[in-house]
Amino acid sequence: MAVGEEKAENRRGIRGWLSPYHYNAERWAYLFQRVTGVAILAYVLGHLGDTSFFVGGPAGTGPSPSGWSFIGSIFENSFGHLILILVVLVLFFHGVNGVRLILAELGFIMRKPSAIEYPYKPRGLGYGQRTLIYVAIVAAVAAAVWAFLVLFEGMG
Amino acid sequence: MKESRLMLIQYGTAVAAVALVSVHLVMQGVIVPYATAISFSNILSIYRNGFYAIFLEAMLVVVLVHGFNGVRIILHELRQTKPWTTWVDAGTVLAIVVTVAYGTRTVILAVFGGVSA
Repeated sequence: MAVGEEKAENRRGIRGWLSPYHYNAERWAYLFQRVTGVAILAYVLGHLGDTSFFVGGPAGTGPSPSGWSFIGSIFENSFGHLILILVVLVLFFHGVNGVRLILAELGFIMRKPSAIEYPYKPRGLGYGQRTLIYVAIVAAVAAAVWAFLVLFEGMG
Repeated sequence: MKESRLMLIQYGTAVAAVALVSVHLVMQGVIVPYATAISFSNILSIYRNGFYAIFLEAMLVVVLVHGFNGVRIILHELRQTKPWTTWVDAGTVLAIVVTVAYGTRTVILAVFGGVSA
């Protein structure tokens, strides 16, 4: 068997991400970091498209009140606001969890490595990492509530 | 470019994106009410404020580089053959150039274009 074939057999790809078997909090955070990242990029591309209508869309030549009101008529409704709340939710999780990943990469929140013994819990993952995962979840929910109040209750 | 340097770019753009997007969000419902923030006249005044136009352009570049480089990293994790690596890297650069160009066009037209009816 060639080396490449052996690698192909061992590769689990996206199925490896989505199988929650034996997942711990860090592994779930890894999965959500990837999923939210792709979702945010999809939103950003859509946002590039809708903001371009401020200048009349792809064929526009300058600021266009009619182009902007056209795009507003499509997205400024309950469905559009619901999408924005979901975007804020995933954005905050991705941002705070991303800061955790950078801190871990730089070694700030990693515990001292030690020999792995039964019951084989990863020892490098300290309280700092776990805490930041929970902070990311709380921050995301709080931001989504804030977005709801701004968009549906007229606060802000 | 070495992967280690690309990861540093990924982390650098991540930190910059957190800062820039936070300010962007604060301007959409904290400093001014949301309804005012998305009004045509308010957005036009923001674009025509030189500082904020540069801010928007910087956010555009930072977020798109971070986003597409993130997708590149995911795709490299899924498969590691030489042709795949080459195509993914080339596609990433192309996607960044095209989307940044389109977003920059919006900024330039909003700043310098004449207001139509």
